[in-house]
Amino acid sequence: MLATLKQILSENWQWRHQIWDLAKIDLIKTYRGAALGKVWLFTKPAVYILVYWFTLSVGMRSGHDVNGQPFLLWLATGVFPWFFMSDAINTGSDVYRRYPYLVNRLKFPLSVISTFYTLSIMIIFACTMLFTLAVCLLTGVHLSRYLLQLPLVMVIMFVFWVAWSIMLSPLGAVSKDFSNLIKTLSTPFFWLSGILFQLSSLPEIGQRVMAFNPVAWCVEAVRDCFVYKEWIWERPDELIPFLVVFAVVVLLALRNFKRLYKEVPDVL
Amino acid sequence: MSSSVASQAIDYGEASVVRDEDRSNPIAVRFDHVCKTYKLYKNDRQRLLATFSNRVKCDTINASDDLTFECRRGEALALLGDNGAGKSTALKMITGVCFPTSGRIEVHGRVSALLELSAGFDMRLSGMENVRLRCQLWGLSKGESEELIPGIVEFSELGKYIDQPMRTYSSGMRARLGFAFASSIRPDILVVDEALSVGDRKFAAKCRKRVSSIMEKEGVTVLFVTHSTSQAKQFCSRGIVLSHGKTLFSGGIDDAVEFYENT
Repeated sequence: MLATLKQILSENWQWRHQIWDLAKIDLIKTYRGAALGKVWLFTKPAVYILVYWFTLSVGMRSGHDVNGQPFLLWLATGVFPWFFMSDAINTGSDVYRRYPYLVNRLKFPLSVISTFYTLSIMIIFACTMLFTLAVCLLTGVHLSRYLLQLPLVMVIMFVFWVAWSIMLSPLGAVSKDFSNLIKTLSTPFFWLSGILFQLSSLPEIGQRVMAFNPVAWCVEAVRDCFVYKEWIWERPDELIPFLVVFAVVVLLALRNFKRLYKEVPDVL
Repeated sequence: MSSSVASQAIDYGEASVVRDEDRSNPIAVRFDHVCKTYKLYKNDRQRLLATFSNRVKCDTINASDDLTFECRRGEALALLGDNGAGKSTALKMITGVCFPTSGRIEVHGRVSALLELSAGFDMRLSGMENVRLRCQLWGLSKGESEELIPGIVEFSELGKYIDQPMRTYSSGMRARLGFAFASSIRPDILVVDEALSVGDRKFAAKCRKRVSSIMEKEGVTVLFVTHSTSQAKQFCSRGIVLSHGKTLFSGGIDDAVEFYENT
C-alpha cells in the first residue's frame, strides 16, 4: 500500500511540469471543433442554472432567499460544483478510455492521467467560481470572510476526485459494465445530494445518511463559503463522515491501482 | 519516456525493470528470462470478478516465455519470427508500455518506437498540437521542441494540413507524421516494427534512407522487427529468431535469416 502511494506521488512529482500543459490540452480537446470554442465551457452551466432557477423560482414558487443571500447565488454555488463533480463521475471514473494512446501506445504513468484530467475540470470550476464572485461584487451581494476557505475547499475537492478517479478508472478499463454502472449513478447523485433542495429539510435519518455522500459534502462546503457563512470544520457531524469516506476512497484507490495498473494496458 | 528520471529500477513482484539513460553502458537492452503472461477470461465480467477474488479461473498464454537476449550499444538487431512469436510483445516491454510478468529487463538509453505509426495520436487535436503534445511527453524543453518541429513538419510533407484536425487525415498522412516524429527526436534506442512500408514508394524510400542515416550515427541502437528478410539483411548486423516467445537462434544476420527461412 505504502509503496503504491509512494509510486503514485513520485510519478506525479516527476511529471509536474507536464501536468499543467496536459490539462490545458484536455480543455482544448473538449471545445475543439466548435466555432465558439471556449464559450461552450461556460454556456452549458449557465443555461442549466437559468432553467433550474426558472423551474424552482418562477414555476414552483419555492425559490426563497437563503440565509439572507439571493436564491440565484444559492443555486449557482450548488450547480457549478456539481458540473465539476458530474465530469469527475462520468469521465473521471473511466478516464483511461479518454486517453487510450497514453495507456497502451506511450510510456506514461497511469495515475498522472487522473491528475491532469481532474485539473482540467478544476480549471473550469475555478473560472465559474471567479465568475460567481465577480457577479456578487457587481450586484452588491454581501460576501464575508468565510470566502477565504474556498481555496481550501477546492484543494480538498481536487484531491478527493483524483483519488476517486484512480480508484475507479482501472475497474472501468477492465469492465465496460462497471463504468456504465458509475455513469448511471450520476443522476441519483444529482437529485439526492441537495443541489436543488436544502439538506436541512431532510428528516434526521436522511441527514445522517447524506453526511456520507461526498457530493453533498462538497456542495455544502462551497455554499458555506458564499451562503451559509460557516467554517467547514464547525459542523463535525458532517466533516467526520466525509473524512471517513475520503480515507476509504484513498485506500481503495491504492488497492485497485496496485492490483490492476499492469493489466490495464493489456486489456484496453 | 520521461527524461527527468535519471535511473529507475522498479520491482514488480517477480519481475524487475531497470531503465536509465546511461549511454556509456555497452549494453543497450538486455532480457533475462523474461516471461509475459496474458490472462484470458471468458468475458469481461469474469475479468471484473477476478479483481475482487482470487478464485476466478482464467486461461493464460505466454507471449514471451523465458526470453533471453542481449543487444549491445550501436548494434542493429533484427527480430525474426512468425506471427504470434512474441516479437511485438518484446518491443512493447522495451518501450515500457507493458510490464513483464517475471524476469529482468534492462534498458539503457531513451527509447523511441516506430510501432503502429498511425496509432497514438489524438484524433481531435491538429497535427501540430499532436506533435507538441508528443514533444512534451517525450520530455523535451520548449526550446528543444521549437528547434525540432520545423524538421518534423517538413519531413512529414503535410504542408498546410499540419494545422487540420487529425481525424481528417488519411492513414498514410498519420503514418508519415508518426514516422517523422519518432525518427526526429534523437533517441538512443530506436525500435522499428514493420514501419518502413509507410505511404507511397517514394516516401517509403525516404524512410529507409532516414533509418539508415540514424543507424550510421554512432551509438544509436536499433531493434528491427520484420517479416521481410531482405530488409533485415539491408539494415541489421545480427538477428535472433523467435518462436512461441522463445529464442530459437541468435547470431549473425545471414545465419539468422537462413535459419528462419529453413524452419
